Amino acid sequence: MKQKPDVQQGTLALMVLKTLEVLGPLHGYGVARRIEQISGDLLSVNHGTLYPVLLRLEQEGAIESEWGASENNRRARYYHLTREGRRQLQSELQDWHQTTEIIARFLSAKAEDLA
Amino acid sequence: MSSIRRLWTRTLNLLLRTTGDRRLREEMEHHIALQTDENLRAGMSVSEARRQALLKFGPVEAFRESYHAEEGLPTIETILQDCRYAVRMLFRSPVLSIVAVLTLALGIGANTAIFSFIDAVMLRTLPVKDPERLVKFGVEDWGGITDSFACTELYSYPFYRQFQRDNQVFSGTAAILSMMNDVHGFINNRKESELIHVQTVSGTYFQTLGVGPQIGRVIDENDDSTEGDHPVLVISNNFWKHRLGGDPAVLDHKIKLGDTVFNIVGVMPAEFFGTKVGAAPDMWTPLSMMASIPPGWNGRKENFSESLYIIGRLKPGVTIEEATANANVLFPQILHSFPDAKLSQDNLDRLSHARVPLKSLARGVSDLRDAYSEPLKVLMVIVALVLLIACANIANLLLARSTSRARELAVRQALGAARIRIIRQLLTESLLLALAGGALGIAFALFANRVLLHMISSGSETIALDVSLNLRLLAFTFVVTVCTALLFGTLPALRATRLELTSTLKSGRGTSTFGARTPLSRVLVISQVALSLVLTVGACLFLRTLNNLSRVDTGFDKQNVLRLDIDSSATGYGEDDPRMRSLLHQIEERVSSLPGVEAASFSAFTFGEGSWNSAISVPGMPFNRKVNVKHNEIGNDYFKVMRIPLIAGRQFGPQDTTKSQPVAIISESMARNLFPAGSPIGRTYSIGSPDGMEVPVEKQVIGVARDVKFNNVAEDLEYIDYLPYTQRGWGFGDFEVRYAGNFAAVAAEVQQAIHSIDRTLPISNVTTLEEQVARSYSNQTIIAQLSAFFGIVAVFLSAIGLYGIMSYLVSRRTGEIGIRMALGADRSEVRWQVMREVVLWIAIGIVIGLPITLGGGRLVRTMLYGLTGSDPWSLVAAAVALLIAGLAAGYLPARRASRVEPTVALRYE
Repeated sequence: MKQKPDVQQGTLALMVLKTLEVLGPLHGYGVARRIEQISGDLLSVNHGTLYPVLLRLEQEGAIESEWGASENNRRARYYHLTREGRRQLQSELQDWHQTTEIIARFLSAKAEDLA
Repeated sequence: MSSIRRLWTRTLNLLLRTTGDRRLREEMEHHIALQTDENLRAGMSVSEARRQALLKFGPVEAFRESYHAEEGLPTIETILQDCRYAVRMLFRSPVLSIVAVLTLALGIGANTAIFSFIDAVMLRTLPVKDPERLVKFGVEDWGGITDSFACTELYSYPFYRQFQRDNQVFSGTAAILSMMNDVHGFINNRKESELIHVQTVSGTYFQTLGVGPQIGRVIDENDDSTEGDHPVLVISNNFWKHRLGGDPAVLDHKIKLGDTVFNIVGVMPAEFFGTKVGAAPDMWTPLSMMASIPPGWNGRKENFSESLYIIGRLKPGVTIEEATANANVLFPQILHSFPDAKLSQDNLDRLSHARVPLKSLARGVSDLRDAYSEPLKVLMVIVALVLLIACANIANLLLARSTSRARELAVRQALGAARIRIIRQLLTESLLLALAGGALGIAFALFANRVLLHMISSGSETIALDVSLNLRLLAFTFVVTVCTALLFGTLPALRATRLELTSTLKSGRGTSTFGARTPLSRVLVISQVALSLVLTVGACLFLRTLNNLSRVDTGFDKQNVLRLDIDSSATGYGEDDPRMRSLLHQIEERVSSLPGVEAASFSAFTFGEGSWNSAISVPGMPFNRKVNVKHNEIGNDYFKVMRIPLIAGRQFGPQDTTKSQPVAIISESMARNLFPAGSPIGRTYSIGSPDGMEVPVEKQVIGVARDVKFNNVAEDLEYIDYLPYTQRGWGFGDFEVRYAGNFAAVAAEVQQAIHSIDRTLPISNVTTLEEQVARSYSNQTIIAQLSAFFGIVAVFLSAIGLYGIMSYLVSRRTGEIGIRMALGADRSEVRWQVMREVVLWIAIGIVIGLPITLGGGRLVRTMLYGLTGSDPWSLVAAAVALLIAGLAAGYLPARRASRVEPTVALRYE
């Protein structure tokens, strides 16, 4: 976890924001499940990594949380996206698309194109 | 944006000590419970479902830690933790902490105090607009009035006006009277007069400086347009607040100076004190009113009545060199253009050699700066050395303590604490000590500043110098404090963490580390001794200088003489008014007849009050402009009061009147060097040069008096002549009374007698002649007192250092001493062995300190009197003092060593 925290945290934050945007208010386990379902292996090892990321996003004001009742009536903390969070998501998505596009172009470049 | 918000939340969390630990725990439990449910649903057994859920969640403790790291500010948290721990450690050895804090407070406080004076006197710029663009003509900052031709220090009013019109380099020029008028004036209709300091300035003064009033208006060019009919004043904030009670309707108040009632037209802001550092005027008036304010300097219209400073503000883009060039082109032109210029060959020669020097006025005019720059620098070095010694001392204390904490530190290192972490911890402790010392030091400095101000202020009025705390001062203190902490904290911290773990853990007082640890302490103690030598020798030099000064033969008998100032201008009589003469005479008579009074006399000067001087023309001797004779106007009994013996001729008497031949008494050396061979009695001479502005009056010599000191005790022989006030007018200040018995009683009677003749005569500066002479070397007195104080502090600190290290060594060597004694060593032998070590260290310290001391002595030689910087007596006295202090410090540990019981010591081993 300590070896590549930047990539993981950054990506994870983006995933959390996207998940909350698509699904609305969710508790930690819900977010984890959802990310796991979509991303397959990425989070299969450590669900716990999610919590520091959630705290960080909340401190930044991207998400908010409050206590609520979960399925089978357990007390659970629900997270939802704020307006600031939506803005952050938009700009990060844009960045992400830009980066992937550049990388993709780079990787698909052939020797003839560069000549 | 979001990162700032995050920092804010984290800081809040840190301050409020809120943690989301419970919340996290709950969330994690919930998460794992849901996962377990899921696993159960997938068909796992109960225990397996729980186990898999936990595995999937990952290392709970690690998450908690990174969660907390996100939550607060970990770096600051560790710093706070360090601080808390440091405070606990400091409280665990309170005596050491208190000693360290007090030592530091003294060291840092002394540095802050001296620096605040250096700041106020030498560094700070005037609180005016762009002070760097202001320049002043002349470099000497004289105060006075002269008629000498081509003077480049003082200027006449017509010269100033002409220069103002002709110059191309200044955007503004102004003139300032070089003397402050100290007037006993009346505020409104109050019955009692008050001493008021009035500064006369040109109408352009405030405009050139670029300062405005806080109330009303400043003096302007119109106020300075025509002579005598603009009785306006601008007062200082201080005068407004303290003498007028801060009345908002201040512009309605009137001030009467001499015969003229002045209107207040404005109040200056609090920070403005004029252009002279250390002399804050109460009020400013236009030069047009110069003659109306006592003592009534006139000469505004005279081309060669030179009494003004000229200042100018450089035009944008003009350098001081260009301005100097322009001034030197105009200077001879303007002088030539005056129709009354006496263009004798001598004067033309002088003019051709005259260069008008321009200097920056950014830091104002200051005779304080000239007088105190050197002493302040020396004092700064002294207090810096004291602080260094204090640092060495505390470093030693910390070293000794770190030895007793060696086990604790070793345990912590063994448990895996990084060395840097422990060093940081120890440095935090040092820093806390230093900060506590620094805070206390500021309090100490504020107190010391008041004492110092009082010390440099001669007379009853405190010098107007702002030495209160300011940002620059606080920054200085802070930097000094942090440097101090690093200085005394670093070595012990490095030393304490460099251990051989195993041996330290094995035994609290292992002998193996002993040899390795003491060299540093020894170096510290020896350097303390060396620095102390520098300070004690310095103290001895300055004390001996003071002693020499106080024993100089002034030529007059300064014992049992009371002196006071009266302000004769308050009578309203002119200087040549016969009523003035009879009043003065009456006072002399009345006071002389008081019981306990031997004689009383007025004089223009007594000692250290400036002078009226000029060249003289003696028939039969070549005229020499460079020979300056100081003139004193006196009453008939002056020589009796001062006990100045007459060598030849007679004293002044009733026969010397305005109608008789003008007479003079001259000093011995004047008779010897300035008069033709043979007796000067009966010869004549005149004051001033043959081509001077004043018509020379021939005076006949009737007596020769013994040489006396005139302005300071260290001066070379001065030529002095005495003139009777019965023949020539003078607005008097000084009154001297030779008395017997109790000073306070005589002083009261004398004042009563004066007031019985004229109730309104203001009397001030009542003191003894001895005190007045001592004031002339108050500089040296201050330095001697302060250097002696700090010398004692230094020796004391070094003695504590020696005591500490010796005690430590003795306790370390108990075993060794025990063995030696068991083998038959004598108790006195053991004691001597310890003492020998002390003497050795002091000797090494002295040898190292000697070259530094001699070098330092050479630097201060100009401040010494009657001895050189390598004065052997001072060196010996300082060395002996250090040795005695060291032996006293070493005695207790040595006695303890000699009382070691061999059996006890050996059993312990």
